[in-house]
Amino acid sequence: MTDLAGCCGELVSELTAAWAIAKKDMLIYYIKPNIIVSGMLFPLFMFLAFAVGRPAESSVMIPGLIAITILFSASSIEPVSIPIERRMKTFDRLLSAPISLHAVVLGESLSGFIYSLGIAVVPLVVGLILFPTPITNIAPLIVGIILTSFCFATMGTLFAAYPTESPGDIMSMLNLVRLPLIFISGVFIPLSQIPDAVRFVTYLSPLTYGNDLIHAAFSAETHFHPVVDIAMICVFILIFQFAANRLYKKFNE
Amino acid sequence: MYAIEALSLSKRFGDIQALTHVDFSVNVGETFGFLGPNGAGKTTTIRILTGISAPTEGTARIFGNDIVQETIAARRQMGIVHETSNIYTDLTAWQNLMFTAEMYHVGRTEREKRGSELLDLFGLTERKDDKTNGFSKGMKRRLTLAMGLINDPRLLFLDEPTSGLDVQSNLIIRDVIRDLNEKDVTVFLTTHNIEEANLACDRVAIINHGRIAAIDSPERLKKTIQSVQSVEAAFDLPAPPEPEDLEQIPGVTEVIKQGDKFRLITEDPSAVIEGVMAFAAQRKGRVISVNTLGPSLEDVFIRLTGLDIRTKGVKTVD
Repeated sequence: MTDLAGCCGELVSELTAAWAIAKKDMLIYYIKPNIIVSGMLFPLFMFLAFAVGRPAESSVMIPGLIAITILFSASSIEPVSIPIERRMKTFDRLLSAPISLHAVVLGESLSGFIYSLGIAVVPLVVGLILFPTPITNIAPLIVGIILTSFCFATMGTLFAAYPTESPGDIMSMLNLVRLPLIFISGVFIPLSQIPDAVRFVTYLSPLTYGNDLIHAAFSAETHFHPVVDIAMICVFILIFQFAANRLYKKFNE
Repeated sequence: MYAIEALSLSKRFGDIQALTHVDFSVNVGETFGFLGPNGAGKTTTIRILTGISAPTEGTARIFGNDIVQETIAARRQMGIVHETSNIYTDLTAWQNLMFTAEMYHVGRTEREKRGSELLDLFGLTERKDDKTNGFSKGMKRRLTLAMGLINDPRLLFLDEPTSGLDVQSNLIIRDVIRDLNEKDVTVFLTTHNIEEANLACDRVAIINHGRIAAIDSPERLKKTIQSVQSVEAAFDLPAPPEPEDLEQIPGVTEVIKQGDKFRLITEDPSAVIEGVMAFAAQRKGRVISVNTLGPSLEDVFIRLTGLDIRTKGVKTVD
C-alpha cells in the first residue's frame, strides 16, 4: 500500500514537472517568429501548393489539411525551443532537476501537442465553413487529432535530441522526414492507389494512421479499422518517447 | 553520513580520460572549494555529482543516495547554480523562480512564500514582474542563485558564483554563502577566484589532469609550501626601479610588479629585507613600506597544478 502511494506520488510529481515545462514553453515559444512560420504558415502553404486546382473532394481535402497541419505544427516547437535552451544553458536546468528524462521528454512534447491542438482547429473550421464537409463521426476526429498531435509532438522532441544549438540543423533533418511523409501517407494520393510495391513504406508512417483516422470522421471509407489506426499511433508514440529518452541520455554523456 | 562522497570516479570520453579515480568526501555543513585550471575535470565532476552525466567507473553518493541508481532522490536534496546565469530571459524574475520551484516539487504556498523571501534577500523585489532580459549581469546572477535556493536545499552546488560581478552583487552573494554555512547547508564551490575559496572554504580540493592533487584546509595547504615566501616593498626613489634591478638583491628568485609595489619571491625573507633597505639607500631614496607575505592559496594552486604564469621563481610540479 505504501509502495503504491509512493509510486502514485512519484507519478504526480513527474506529471506536475512535465506540465511546468509545457507551461514554460507556451509562455516563451508560442509567439516566436520561427515557430509561427514553421508551425502555422508552412503547413498552410504546403497544402495550398499541393491541393489548389486539384479536383479533390472536400471530404478528402479537409482531413488531409488537418493531418498536414498537425504534422507540421506539433513537431515545430521542440526543434526550435530545445536548441535555443541548449545555447542559453537553460536546458541544463531540466536535465539536472529531480525528474526523470521521461518527464522532460513528456513536458517538451506537451507544449507541441497543445500548440497543435489549437492550430488544427483552423483547417477544421475552414472546412466546415467554406466547404460542405459534413462530419459523419465525431469520435475518430477528436481521437485522431489528439493522438496524431501527441505523436508528432513526441517526434519533434525526438529529433531535437540531436545535440546542436542551432534550430536550423534540426529543422533540416526534420523536413527530410516530414516532407516525404506527406507523399507516402495517403494525404494526397489515397492509399488504395499507391502501388503495391511501395505500399509497405506507407505502413511505416505515423501520418498514414493519423490521416486515416481523421478521414474516418468524414467518410465511412477508410483503409484501416480505426482501432488499428489508434493502436499504431500509440505504438509510434511509445517508440518516439523511448527513443527520445535514450538519445537525450546518450547525448548528455 | 557525508553530504557528498565521490568514490573512485572515472570518466572517459572516447580516447580522453577526463577523470581518473577521483575520491573525496564533503562533510555536512561544510563549504568545500573545488579548484583547478580549465580542462582539469571540474565541470565533468560536477556533471557527475548532479546526475547529468554518468561515471565510466565508480560512483558518488549525495546524503547516502547513489547518484546513478537514486538520481532523483539525490537531486531533491540539492540546489544547483550553474556557471552561466541560465535564466529564462523571456520570463519575469517571479516566473523563473516559480518554474524552478515546480521542477523541484515545492508546493504552491511554500514556493510563493520562499520566492518572495528570496527576491527580498537578493534585492530583486522591485523587479519581480519584469522580464529578465533587461537585467544586469549581477541581477541575473543573483536571480540564478535565488533559483538554486528555491527548494531550500541541503547541498548547494555553486559554479563560479561571483565571476565578473559588480561589487554589490559580489557582497550579497558572499553574505548569502556565509549565511548558508551558518544554517548547516553544505556548499560545493567551484571558482577561479582562489582568494574567494581561501576566505569562504573550510577545505579545498585541487584537481589537475582529472586527478585530485590535494585536499585540505587552505591554511594547511599553504603550510606545505612554506618555501614560497615573499617580501612586498614600495619605494620612494629619484628614478623608479625596474624589476630587473631588484632581481639583483641576494636571495630574490623572482620579482613581480604589483601596482606601485614589488613582490620579491624568496626563501629567505629576512635577508631580502636587508637587501631592500640597502638597495633604497644605494639609490638615494627610501623604502615607503615593506611586508613579508607567506605563501597564498594561489601559490599552492600554481605549484600543484604545474601552472607557470610567473615564468620563473616558483618551481612547478608536474
